[in-house]
Amino acid sequence: MAKSSTRPAIQPGSHAPYTQATRQAGPERWDKPFSPDMKEMDVDLVMAHPIFYNTAPEKFPAAIPLRGILRNDTKLHQYLSGEIIVRRGDYGHSAFIIMDGAVKVLAKEPPAELLGRQPPVRPSVWGSFKRWLSRPQYAETATRRGAPPGLHVGRSGETRIFLQDVPGVLDSDRSIILREGELFGEIAALGRTPRTATVVAEGEVLLLEIRWQGLREIRKYSPAWKERIDGRYRERSLKRHLAETPLMWNLSDTSLQLIADATRFETFGEFDWHSSYQRMREASARELMEKEPLIAREGDYPNGLLLVRSGFARVSCRYNHGERTESYLGKGQVFGLHEIVTGWRGEHVALRHSLRALGYVDLLFIPTAVIEQHVLPALSPDQLATLTLAAESPGGAGGADELVEFMVAQRFINGRATMLIDLDRCTRCDDCVRACAATHDNNPRFIRQGPEASGVMVASACMHCVDPVCMIGCPTGAIYRENIEGLVGIDADTCIGCSICANSCPYGTIQMVALHDEDGLPVVTEETGAPIRRATKCDLCIDQPGGPACVNACPHDALVRADMRAGDKLTDWLKR
Amino acid sequence: MKTFRARRWLLALISLMLALGLVLAWQLARIALLPVAVYSGWLLLGLVLVLTFFNARKKLPFLPLLSASAWMQAHIYLGWLGCFVFVLHTGVRLPDGRLELVLSAVFALVAASGALGLWLSRWLPPRLVRSGESLVYERIAGLRQQLAEEVRELVRRGEIETQSSTLADLYLRVLHAYFLRVPPLLAPLTGDDREFHRVRQELELARRYLNPAELSLAGELADLIEAKRNLDLQLAGQRLLKLWLFVHIPLTYGMLVLTAAHVWLALHYSHRL
Repeated sequence: MAKSSTRPAIQPGSHAPYTQATRQAGPERWDKPFSPDMKEMDVDLVMAHPIFYNTAPEKFPAAIPLRGILRNDTKLHQYLSGEIIVRRGDYGHSAFIIMDGAVKVLAKEPPAELLGRQPPVRPSVWGSFKRWLSRPQYAETATRRGAPPGLHVGRSGETRIFLQDVPGVLDSDRSIILREGELFGEIAALGRTPRTATVVAEGEVLLLEIRWQGLREIRKYSPAWKERIDGRYRERSLKRHLAETPLMWNLSDTSLQLIADATRFETFGEFDWHSSYQRMREASARELMEKEPLIAREGDYPNGLLLVRSGFARVSCRYNHGERTESYLGKGQVFGLHEIVTGWRGEHVALRHSLRALGYVDLLFIPTAVIEQHVLPALSPDQLATLTLAAESPGGAGGADELVEFMVAQRFINGRATMLIDLDRCTRCDDCVRACAATHDNNPRFIRQGPEASGVMVASACMHCVDPVCMIGCPTGAIYRENIEGLVGIDADTCIGCSICANSCPYGTIQMVALHDEDGLPVVTEETGAPIRRATKCDLCIDQPGGPACVNACPHDALVRADMRAGDKLTDWLKR
Repeated sequence: MKTFRARRWLLALISLMLALGLVLAWQLARIALLPVAVYSGWLLLGLVLVLTFFNARKKLPFLPLLSASAWMQAHIYLGWLGCFVFVLHTGVRLPDGRLELVLSAVFALVAASGALGLWLSRWLPPRLVRSGESLVYERIAGLRQQLAEEVRELVRRGEIETQSSTLADLYLRVLHAYFLRVPPLLAPLTGDDREFHRVRQELELARRYLNPAELSLAGELADLIEAKRNLDLQLAGQRLLKLWLFVHIPLTYGMLVLTAAHVWLALHYSHRL
C-alpha cells in the first residue's frame, strides 16, 4: 500500500536533517496484506468452513485476532483441473487448505519440462548498464525501493502452470488424493525447506493459501491446529525422507512401511539455536563442544542408525585428553552405518566416533535389528561399499583439520554460498567491496572482515544458509527463499525495518540501513520522527548477468562463494 | 580445478611461443623490407591499450567482461610480452630524440612498477597472515589510538595500585613513543621490527623490579606490544600494497600521453600522416 509523504522546503546550508526530513507513516505488520482481494466477506466464508469450527478465536490475542490473520495472511485461489499448485523443490512460504474440491500429490516426480520449469530470467547487460548509470547518489534511497528484479522471478503462486500430459503422469504413479478440509504445504512453510512434492488440482478446486507467519500464529494459539499440523508434519516428512535415503532406494513399500513403523523421531538442541550461539560465540572450542547435546558416544554399542532430517551434527573422536572434530553431518547423512555393517558381517565393533548436535538437529533413529533385517540384505556388495564409504567421509574440507574444527565451531557449515577469502592471495585491494557497491546502489552488501583460520577468512556476507534462521519471525514475509536454488532474498517493498532478521542472523550478515530521499536527507516516520530503515544483505547478484560481482572483481583468485556441503570442491580450492 | 603452478607454466609457455613467433615474423618482415618499426609500434600501442583497459574493467563490474582474475592474468603475461615488443621496437638501444628518451624511461618505470607490484602482491599477503589478525586498513589509525590509550590506562592503574613507578618510567621512556609510532614506508621490505624487539627487551629487563601484581600487568603489556607489532605490520604491508598503484597508474596515463605525441611525430615525419 503506497503511503503519502510530506517534505518541508530544504533550508540551504542547514545541518539539521531530522527537522527537514521527509515524514510518512511508520510501517506496520499487515501494512501489506498477503492479498488485497481478501475482503471481510471472504473471511466470513473461511470462518464458516468446518475446518475452522474448533479453532476458538477467543484464544487469540487482541493484537493478532484470527480474523486479522485470515484477512491479512491468507488468500483464496481457484485452480482448474491439471493446474500445478506447488512444485517439488521450490521454496515456499505458505501452506494450503482445501476449501472445496480435491488435489493430487504426485509421488513420482514428472520430468522438469512437464512442470514448466524455466531457467532463472536475468536482466540483460543493457539492463544492468542502465541500472548502473541511474544509481542514486546516496545509498538506499527511498525512491528506489525494491529488491533487484531478479529476486521476484518465479516465486510460488505468481505464475500458474498446467501440468502437461496429465493422464500420462497421473495414471502411472501412486499419487495421493487430498480432499476438502485437508492441509498441505505446511512442511515447507514451517520448516523453511523446499517443497517435498508436486501438487496439482484434481478438477476445479478452491484453496486458501496461508503464508507461514499466519500459519505460525494459528498453530501457536489454537491447540487443535497445533496437534493437526505437528502430526501431519511428522508423518509426511518421515515417509518422504525414508524413500529419499539412498540406503533404502531398493526397498519395497512393505519394507519401507515396516521401517517407518520402527523409526523413532529424535530431536536435539534448540530450534532457535541462533540466540544461544550468539552468546556462546566467544567461548573456547572445548567449552562449545561440552555444551553441545551428546547424541551418540564413542565406544557405545551401535544400537541404531541415525539419519539426519534437518540441522547439523558434529562427528568427533577422543584424542588424548580432548576431542577432535572429524567431520560434520547434514541433512540426509547417516551415522553408525560402518559399525552396523561390520556387526552384520559378524565382527561386532563399538561406535568409533561421538555425535553431537550443532545447534538443532532432527534425527530419525532406526534400530540396528531393522536395518539388518530389511535394509542391508537388499543392497548389493558394491552398493554397500559405496554407501559405507560415503558415510565415512560425509563433509568438510579434508586435510585441513584446523579449518574443519573452525568451520564446525563457528557453524559456517550452514553456508551454501559462504564468502571465503584466501588471505595468502588477498592484497586487501577492496575491489570486491567496490564492485558490490557499484552493483547495489552504492551500498556494499558485505564487510570484508570476519573470523579467520588457516589463512582463510570467512567474510561477513550472507551465506544463503541451508537452515536460514533469519527467516524465523519475519512478520511480513519480506525475507524469503528464491525458488530452485534457494537463495535467500529480501523484498524491499515488504520489509518494515523491524530488524528481526538482522538480530536473528547468527553471523551478523544482515545490515539495517537508514533510507534517504533523493537529496540525501533521512526518511523518518510521521509519528515519531524515527529514521525508517530496511534490511539489506548479499543477494548473490542475482540480477547481474555475470554472477556475484565480488567473485568476478577479485583479480587474485582470492575470493570464492563456497557451498560448505561440497567438501571436495572446498578442498580443491584450498589446495590450489 | 587447476593449480596456480599449472596455470603459471601454461601461460608462460604460451607467452614464450608468442614471443618466438614475433621474432620469426620480425625477421621475415625485415627480409621483405617491410617497415617493421611501424608494425611493432602499432602492436605495442595495441598491447598498452589492452593493458590499460584492465583498470577500466574494474570500474565496470556489471559488464560480463570475463573475471578480473582472467584480466589480471592477461595483464601480467601481455605485460611481459609488451616488454619484449618494446625491445624489438627500440632495437635495444637508447633512443635519439628527447621525447623518445622520456617515453622509454616512463615505459621502463611503468613496467618495473608493475613487476614490483606483482611481486609485492604475491610476497606480502602471506606475511600479513603470519603477523596476526587481519585488519581493515582504514581502521588501523583508530586502533592505534585505542591501543595507546589502553596502555596509558594500564600503566596509570598499575602506578596507583602498586605505588611503584617502574612501569610508568618505562612508559615515558619507550612505550609512549612505541605505541604512537607510525612505521616507515618501506618497513615490510626492510624487515623493520627493531623497535618491537627493543621495547620487548626493555620490558623483560624491567621485570626484575616488579612485584607479582606488576608482573601481571607486564604480561598484559607484553600482549599489547605484540598487538602493536601486528598493527604496524598490517599498516605498512597494506600501505605498500596500495602505494605501488599510485606510481604505476599515473605513470601509465603519462605514458599514454607521451605515446600519442610519439605516434603523431613518427607518422608526421615519415610522411604517413
